[in-house]
Amino acid sequence: MTYEQLPDEWKEWLSLSPLERFARGEQMLVEYIAMGGSLDPDPDPTSPFDIPAEWRPDVAHGRAGLRLLRRGAG
Amino acid sequence: MGGQACVFYGAAQVSKDIDFLVLSEAENFARLQAALETLQADRIDVPPFDPAALARGHAVHFRCRAPGVAGLRVDVMTRLRAMPEFTSLWERRTTLVDDEGVEYHLLCIPDLVQAKKTQRSKDWPVIELLVTIHYRQHAGEATDEQVDFWLHEARTPELLVELCRRFPTQAAEVTASRPLIRLAQDRSLDELRMALDAEVRAEQARDRDYWEPLRRELEQFRREHRDR
Repeated sequence: MTYEQLPDEWKEWLSLSPLERFARGEQMLVEYIAMGGSLDPDPDPTSPFDIPAEWRPDVAHGRAGLRLLRRGAG
Repeated sequence: MGGQACVFYGAAQVSKDIDFLVLSEAENFARLQAALETLQADRIDVPPFDPAALARGHAVHFRCRAPGVAGLRVDVMTRLRAMPEFTSLWERRTTLVDDEGVEYHLLCIPDLVQAKKTQRSKDWPVIELLVTIHYRQHAGEATDEQVDFWLHEARTPELLVELCRRFPTQAAEVTASRPLIRLAQDRSLDELRMALDAEVRAEQARDRDYWEPLRRELEQFRREHRDR
């Protein structure tokens, strides 16, 4: 995409300085962890860095302890 | 390098892990080892933390236990596919410093773009964004080197058409090494999109070919580890 095609939220992100972006990224990570987020890498079989043994069935993708309450039709 | 560098440059908003590209020298490994001990970083999976394995292109993976970084995954490499040696990358790095004097050394955007040319689909939109950001930053007073970089790496049809309009002479020169530039010159947007997709698939195939022997070696490492 060109810069003009970027969503406003992303343009706002780009208007920050690199160090401001890094600090905000760190803050987002802190909040994510405080909400129970996992630091486990997202499973990605196409990545050479993917370690299947590191996938933990009790930790849902990107979240802690997500479990199925109701399975939809189909 | 990797996701954290993309956060600095604006092409990502957060990254859950940190990748480090390090100089492969004994003294540097000792410093790295000390830093990993401070982070209480345990090596996970394979390969072993062995300079020879790193030199073949493997990444060594760690998970930290120290308070404040508990669970953080750290990946260490000493070489990247189709990229120059560390010393060359270091010479042209981007360095940022914060108010406390902490320095952050990043691959420069052109090198980060090369490093992101992987088989993973999620890396390609990041490349597109990195080039868009770089173009916006430097479009006003572009050097020949920057124009060459954009013409070779831009992945947005509209941006490629704009580049061909603004820099027709350089665009004509690049057609030899990147034939799809002709489609941008002709403003054939649909064909250009297909050519860009084909370019991605070809690069992903090269990345898979590069990693295939390394993947086999990783499996061998795992078998040896299990048999021990």
